[in-house]
Amino acid sequence: MKNHIKELRTKLNITQEELAQKAGVRRETIVFLEQGKYNPSLNLAHSVALALNVGIEELFIFEN
Amino acid sequence: MLINSNTKPMTLKQYQVLRMAVAVALGVIFSQAIIFRNYLIPIVAVTIAFLILIMVKKKVKGVVADERDYAIGGKAALLTIQVYSWVAVCIMFFLYARRDLNPAYEPIAITLAYSTCLLMIAYGLIFRYYDKITFLDKKVIYTVLLILVFVAVIVFGLRLFSGEDDWICQNGRWVQHGQPDFPAPTRECK
Repeated sequence: MKNHIKELRTKLNITQEELAQKAGVRRETIVFLEQGKYNPSLNLAHSVALALNVGIEELFIFEN
Repeated sequence: MLINSNTKPMTLKQYQVLRMAVAVALGVIFSQAIIFRNYLIPIVAVTIAFLILIMVKKKVKGVVADERDYAIGGKAALLTIQVYSWVAVCIMFFLYARRDLNPAYEPIAITLAYSTCLLMIAYGLIFRYYDKITFLDKKVIYTVLLILVFVAVIVFGLRLFSGEDDWICQNGRWVQHGQPDFPAPTRECK
């Protein structure tokens, strides 16, 4: 699953560590999310979207 | 108290280093306990280590583990069980086939076989617990039933594999109990 986490995070000028703290996960998880190597749970997707002030559907690109 | 509420918060890195140090210390304590045949020390050491880690974990600033860690942990645990089971079964057959060479091989093979069965039963029951029982209304009753089943399996296993055909020490002599298919122990009977 692709996402816009890196673009939005850069736009907000926050580090991966700061985003991880806001979302309540480890920095490595943010790294894997940004690289599209990890599909988050709905809970985590919601937390990250909240931390970046966007909706889940704007943040993640759902593909078949 | 080793770690009181006034201590400074700990970083994740410091916690990981401490956890590693505790694991090394436990390894040393275990090896010494085996050498000196003192089996109380490892139990006490594990309990103390467990309590220290729980207390220290509360002091860690930041997230120690998140959902990705738990997902990886689940996969790693399953693979570990599979690897252990295969290795244990292979060693068990190897030792059992060569039990005539050394009488100690048979009990080791039986222990390996039984530990593998126990591990798989425990995994199956715990899997069933998380898969079904946590969602039920009467989960306390089912949890107790599950624990009883597990205890019954352990008791049955111990009854099946322990001491029926063995040598027992009586009045300074090794006396045959049942039909052991190995010679009397060579160590002194006190």
